[in-house]
Amino acid sequence: MFAFIMRRLGTLGVILFGSSFLLFNLAALSGDPVGELRASNEPDAEARIAAITRSLRLDLPPPVRYFIWLRGILGVFVGKFDLGQTRTSEPVAVAVFDAIPTTLRLVTTAAITAIVLGIAIGIITALRQYSRFDYSMTFFSFLLFSLPIFWVAVLLKQFMAIEFNNWLAEPTIPPTAMITIGLILGLIVAAAIGGDRKKYWRVFFITAAGTVVTLVLMLQLNWFLQPSLGPLGFFAASVGAALLITQLSVGLQHKPSLRAALCMSVLGLVSYYPVNWLFNKENQPLVIFGLLLLTIASAIAASIFFAKIDRGPVVRTAVLTGILTGLLMILDKLMRTWEPYFNTDAVNGRPVPTVGQTNSLLESDDYWISLLDVAMHLVLPTIALTAISFAGYIRFSRGTMLEVLNQDYIRTARAKGLNERTVIMRHAFRNTMIPMTTIIVVDFASILGGAIITERVFGWTGMGTLFNTAINSFDLNLLMGVFFLTASLALVANLVADLLYSVMDPRIRVGAGA
Amino acid sequence: MKKWNRSVKVALAVATTAGLVIGVLSPATAATRSTVVIIDSNAFTSLNPSHNEHNLVLNSNVAYMSGIGFNYYDDKPVLVENKTFGSYKIVSKSPFKVKYTVNKGRIWSDGTPITGVDLLLTHVVSSDQYSIDAGLGDPASEDKEPAFDSGGYSGTYNTLIKNITLAPDRMSVVIEWKKFFPDWEVFAPGVSPVHALVAMAEGKTKLGTNANNVANKNKFLRAFLSKDTDMLRKIGKVWSNSYNVTEVNEKTNPLLLVVNGAMQVESIVKNQRVTLKLNPNYNSGPETSGIEKIVYVTIPDSTAAAQALANKEADYYSALATADSVALLNKIKGITLDGTPEATYEHVEIRSGSAPGGKEYTGPFAGMSQKAKDLRTAALLAWPRQEIIDKIVKPVNSKAVVMNSLQYFPTEPNYGKMIAANELDKFTDGTQAQRTAKALALVKKYYPDAKAGSNSVKIEVLYNTSARRASQAALAKAELSEAGFQVNLNPKSNWGALLTDSTYDVAFYAWGKSALLQTGNFSSYKSADSDSGYLNAKVDEIIGELELGNYNDDQRYSRYLAIEKLMAEDAVSLPIFLWPTLTAVNSDLKNVRPGPLVPNGLWNFWEWTY
Repeated sequence: MFAFIMRRLGTLGVILFGSSFLLFNLAALSGDPVGELRASNEPDAEARIAAITRSLRLDLPPPVRYFIWLRGILGVFVGKFDLGQTRTSEPVAVAVFDAIPTTLRLVTTAAITAIVLGIAIGIITALRQYSRFDYSMTFFSFLLFSLPIFWVAVLLKQFMAIEFNNWLAEPTIPPTAMITIGLILGLIVAAAIGGDRKKYWRVFFITAAGTVVTLVLMLQLNWFLQPSLGPLGFFAASVGAALLITQLSVGLQHKPSLRAALCMSVLGLVSYYPVNWLFNKENQPLVIFGLLLLTIASAIAASIFFAKIDRGPVVRTAVLTGILTGLLMILDKLMRTWEPYFNTDAVNGRPVPTVGQTNSLLESDDYWISLLDVAMHLVLPTIALTAISFAGYIRFSRGTMLEVLNQDYIRTARAKGLNERTVIMRHAFRNTMIPMTTIIVVDFASILGGAIITERVFGWTGMGTLFNTAINSFDLNLLMGVFFLTASLALVANLVADLLYSVMDPRIRVGAGA
Repeated sequence: MKKWNRSVKVALAVATTAGLVIGVLSPATAATRSTVVIIDSNAFTSLNPSHNEHNLVLNSNVAYMSGIGFNYYDDKPVLVENKTFGSYKIVSKSPFKVKYTVNKGRIWSDGTPITGVDLLLTHVVSSDQYSIDAGLGDPASEDKEPAFDSGGYSGTYNTLIKNITLAPDRMSVVIEWKKFFPDWEVFAPGVSPVHALVAMAEGKTKLGTNANNVANKNKFLRAFLSKDTDMLRKIGKVWSNSYNVTEVNEKTNPLLLVVNGAMQVESIVKNQRVTLKLNPNYNSGPETSGIEKIVYVTIPDSTAAAQALANKEADYYSALATADSVALLNKIKGITLDGTPEATYEHVEIRSGSAPGGKEYTGPFAGMSQKAKDLRTAALLAWPRQEIIDKIVKPVNSKAVVMNSLQYFPTEPNYGKMIAANELDKFTDGTQAQRTAKALALVKKYYPDAKAGSNSVKIEVLYNTSARRASQAALAKAELSEAGFQVNLNPKSNWGALLTDSTYDVAFYAWGKSALLQTGNFSSYKSADSDSGYLNAKVDEIIGELELGNYNDDQRYSRYLAIEKLMAEDAVSLPIFLWPTLTAVNSDLKNVRPGPLVPNGLWNFWEWTY
């Protein structure tokens, strides 16, 4: 194992050296940092060319400049790690480390959504192989997969921001539109749930009619301008979450788990008003963290109360339900912040933004208004990134799931008389996750490289923008800084993925025979 | 008990009704807007745009709004004297001396009076000699930066200005030039808050008292006069480093934000925005008209910028126009589009010799022989300028015309007079087919078997790698081949460096200008500076006169005309079109009148109002 890691780290160094040398020289040859000045007929152009030549050492050939850069990197061994300065005399390390949080903020939600949705849909399509749902999801995911993100972004901004904001000035939905929305949702839900023809049509009609009724109610209650779940909606959603989590983790027939989960929902309802009172206090991050600890503690207490033996799964179910209930409460609070947010001068009745990370005019001390502002600025980029990236997860998890379902141990499990839920969740799902994990690790590393196009179209300055700026302004130090970080991360992530594989799958042993 | 309950109910009902009535009666939109959000494609890097590495449009625009001096360009464009701030006049013809006086009572944003001492820093950051004498380093040195890492060294100021002296009343300075310089007005000294620089050099992080500030100002003056290397180096460190901030918040040293302009930086969020608020102590320039806050937001993508305008997230967006952006912006309701041409024009240059220091040029256009002139004339005749305008520029600016004067833009008053006389009309007479036929006839004189597509004369054309340039090159290649030329296209991203390369016979690119100088657009045609190796002793002589002569408008015009005629005869250069900048502004924002010179649409931000 140790030898394996050392060998891999050695290779990593060689790859980094070779690729950085290549990139540096290619980038140096690709353009002229003073090109613009050479074509200028300003009187001071000559002097400025001289100054830039001096500060970028343009008098030296690129390979020599590469070793100047490398000396800074190798300084890590003598405690003087130096990535150099950008052309605007900012240390590259600072520029890069300032960009990382932005990139993380932009892509994390999208990545998690894409992974959860992608795996869920992938597994459902595998279970309903060759059904209408399978075909339509396959079609749909490939459709999204093939769309260019800048185009998706333009459409999203046009319809979900500009037009939607216009519509909010006077929110009405014509009956034909309502019925169309109902029919489409009905088709999707009915196809996902499956079953025989009778059940299919029943689900279809219930969903369609339910959607139309909900829309009418929403309009009547002015829900689009004053949204909220309210204590009852919140409680209903929380009970739904409790049932779903219990079903997925241990099955509804496991009474202690079900009781503990439902107990968390009831606790949520009881604490609805006190918690909302707390939400209006100072120092919200601390309050939320405290509430999280309290939720976990009460979930553990509830499981100890309801379960006498084998408490592990019960605790898990109760904690997950508690956290989901807490998130629902935060969602409810954000919904009720919508109206004050909507009416601030900075937002001025146009709550969905098309660009940027926060509203440039908003000056609010209110934690929830600021949080909602951040969230609103994340909506469109997250939808765009999720839409184009979750197709991959769907296809991969579907394929893996199908392969696992054909394994002997699944047949054995079924032959033992285990119920379908246990077969899928405990035997099939866990084995599906082994290859998925390695993919996710590598994906997370590449995420830090930034989403160049997404960042650009949504006006975020993360790693992708840095890379883009570096290329366009012939800023070699900055380019190499970004490259060095992303390349190292990619290589390390590959190593970690390999090691994880051996940890999760006992059949695989790294370094065996070395 | 019951009764009490009831009274509570009544009271509640009354209160609710009253609340509703108040809600209904109060006007929906009470206050008018007082904020302007401006889109810029770059991120802010420094409060000091004079720094060598921070000469960025956004930095300069922020500096323009937060600082004002003796003059500025308006939209005509005319250099306007800012009489609120001070005045200037020529006090001596020989030696040539100009006196700049700051009006009494002008103050910095921290309340410190502005005096002549605040004008002296310009000399420190522009004069190479001062930098060397004061031990601050040689700005022209190849390997070491001077203490003030300024982009102002080694320029006209350094070459022509001899000295700057403070008048005894300390409200004026006198600048002495080595000889008369016609564009002296452009070189008015700028103001710098030297008291804040000194305070920061001494490690202060809070605004000083009035007495402190005056003392610091005197310290600067002493250091300036005695060329105190240590003190000046400390100030130079602040000037070169401390102002390069990408983040401004309550922790920022307030001394960095001392300004005399209408707006003052309030906060900067790195890579996202710069927020400027009204400077409460502003009295150095024209009065503002109601805008209290200006925010620059960074949006690099032009489509994203247009959609931000459409979603009312921004009020002002200015960019080089493309057919796509025009189409997109035209569709947006509630914005006003303005297509003011900026001072940048596309032109085609034909090599007639080697650039100074370049490899010898032996191509078909070399020299001033009749043959070379005829071939150059043929190439320019066949250059399809009208077609380029129709196909490439008109979609962006429907009023675009072929530009036919090297000196004047079609928007300028003298343009009509000039094109009637400058003899460039031989390149516009008739249809393109007729001109190409003339070109072919000229080529035939030297290559008897030349005909359309005969590829008799091989030429290399250099241009930048952009879509617009590529389409121009394609049009030119097709038309020139009709006249017997074989055109090899060389799109290069480093075209700027290759302009002096004798490999290329023809180059087309854009020239911009940032100030109106007496040499006009001709300084690059001086044989000592000409990238395309142009050498005409008569032209050199007239440019020499323009560089130093004291002329009135007519005298200047006659010299421009003479150069244009000579150059038309030599057939070395031809303008093509003026490229428009597109400015899209929220229709509610009034008084936005973009001008052709930097800072284009922002020049009169103090007149903006809703």
